[in-house]
Amino acid sequence: MSAPELHPSDTSGLSTPTGTRRRFFQWVTRAAAGLIGLSLAIPLVGYVISPALKRRTQSWVDVASLDELPVGKPKQVDYVATVQDGYLETKTQKAVWAVKQTDGQVTVFSPICTHLGCGYHWDEGEQKFKCPCHGSAFDLSGRVVAGPAPRPLDALPSKMEKGRLLVMYKEFKSGVAGKIEL
Amino acid sequence: MASRIYAWLDSRLNLKAVEHSLLDEPIPGGASWIYVFGSATLFLFILQAITGMFLAIYYAPTPDHAYDSVQFIENQVTFGWFVRGLHHWGASGMVIAVGLHMLQVFLYGAFKPPREMMWMVGVVLFLIVLGFAFTGYLLPWDQTAYWATQVGINMVGTVPVVGDVLVKVMRGGELLGALTLSRFFAVHVLFLPAVIVTGIMLHLFILRRVGPAGPWDEKKAAAGSETFYPRQVYMDAVVMAGIFALLVLLACLVPFPLADKANPSDTSFVPVPEWYFLFYYELLKHVHGPLEPFATWILPGLVVVILLLWPLLDWKKTVRAPASRPVGMALAALFLLVVFSLLAVSLKNLYGVKRVDPGIAHGQALFANLGCAGCHRIHGTGGALGPDLSYIGDERPDREWHMKHFRDPQSVSPGSIMPKFPLTEQELHDLTSYMVSLRKAG
Repeated sequence: MSAPELHPSDTSGLSTPTGTRRRFFQWVTRAAAGLIGLSLAIPLVGYVISPALKRRTQSWVDVASLDELPVGKPKQVDYVATVQDGYLETKTQKAVWAVKQTDGQVTVFSPICTHLGCGYHWDEGEQKFKCPCHGSAFDLSGRVVAGPAPRPLDALPSKMEKGRLLVMYKEFKSGVAGKIEL
Repeated sequence: MASRIYAWLDSRLNLKAVEHSLLDEPIPGGASWIYVFGSATLFLFILQAITGMFLAIYYAPTPDHAYDSVQFIENQVTFGWFVRGLHHWGASGMVIAVGLHMLQVFLYGAFKPPREMMWMVGVVLFLIVLGFAFTGYLLPWDQTAYWATQVGINMVGTVPVVGDVLVKVMRGGELLGALTLSRFFAVHVLFLPAVIVTGIMLHLFILRRVGPAGPWDEKKAAAGSETFYPRQVYMDAVVMAGIFALLVLLACLVPFPLADKANPSDTSFVPVPEWYFLFYYELLKHVHGPLEPFATWILPGLVVVILLLWPLLDWKKTVRAPASRPVGMALAALFLLVVFSLLAVSLKNLYGVKRVDPGIAHGQALFANLGCAGCHRIHGTGGALGPDLSYIGDERPDREWHMKHFRDPQSVSPGSIMPKFPLTEQELHDLTSYMVSLRKAG
């Protein structure tokens, strides 16, 4: 034997460490593997899930001057926002419905029908919001007056500042009675 | 529990035999720390594969998005800097590990019969690693990546007859651009991995067929063999943990921010290749004119062919001890001497002399991005609304003045129509560095 600490193994005539020496080598090997595995796995899990769990930060977007909005008649206004999509910055454009009440308060509706997500329009003659897909209809305050829509039109967060109307765009789950934000 | 699952699997798959074959492989002369380099290389390869796969989750291989997506990984993704750092330093580690592995095999004469094929496959694997390094370098699409690759590809153009065609094939067109980036990406993450995995399997298959070479001293080898497990495995594991710890330290402590985004029109950028290509870069500086093809492809080609065929060229087929192979050893020493001398000269040139302040280049980029040239003229380019800045460094060498001026132009220059720009502290410094650098004598 070249090395005194080696003992012949039972099977093959090869030498192999035994007893506590063998257990020491096994323990160190496992510790090294565990250390490398863990210090790699933890960062990698964070790496994969972190952007996936990040909520989009939303901000108020100026959509119109309050003076342009006629009282008691809905007006479709453009909502243009910059959306951070990972490393991309994209501009999104939506048209939301703004209704100025007689007391000066403004309600802003999401342009998506609460039934199955079609875009609806304002029917001047009938004084109703009408969805062309399945015939849902809503009155000026967003209440359902006809059709299969399960809930009123979704009002969007809005506020008035220095004569301007500010809106925060959100989307809600369609087809259900509750207003669940997506 | 684990042992019961193992017993269940073993009774069906006969795992004991596989375990025996894997772990009880005989190491002639016993386990040794000198045999760890092959395992270290394999470990680094696996680490590169894992970190590379994770980088690909966010990376976008187009000129429009590549740079931004790498910035996103670096700054926005949790541990993104860590994964990128490991991949970056792991690449250097891989080149070092391969180098040490080859050196050990050469020194021990382990490439001699019956192991010639293992050496030859190994040399091919080494070339593939360099291919990984070259293709990976372009992917961040910053100035360094762009211009270093430009130079690298142009060198291929000096090959006679087929050079021009090769250059076009590598670029995927006339110019280095979108098509180049996507093919470099595909080669880096799809083609080369497939080839290298095949090569690694072949390398290991040959190893298992012929067995490790063991010590060159016959007496030591005759003393008997030791099983691969547990002592050699333990040594390999300790070295792997050490390498990993070192890479983690480098990733955490040595940042390597991206240069500015690749700008094909900025020909003033001087690219510097990765350190493992530096010796070659240095060689090319000293060889000009009719001798240039000699340096760009004849010499490297010759070295590769000799390296590849060395087991067949070496006439002493059975003698393994270094002392009995003076010519082989002298050739290897000469090769290493030349490579490391060139590397040393190159490093001295790069870092020994006073380097140009990188802030100047940033300042110049800011000058372009902020549209300063709309009003100011530098060497004939730009508007005439504001003062000509061609030699502003001579006229106003005072940094403080510039800093004050950029913060609030009217404070030092009453009545100035120059608008205030919202600059960060760093941007203020960089723009000032650029202004002060505009002098008659560089």
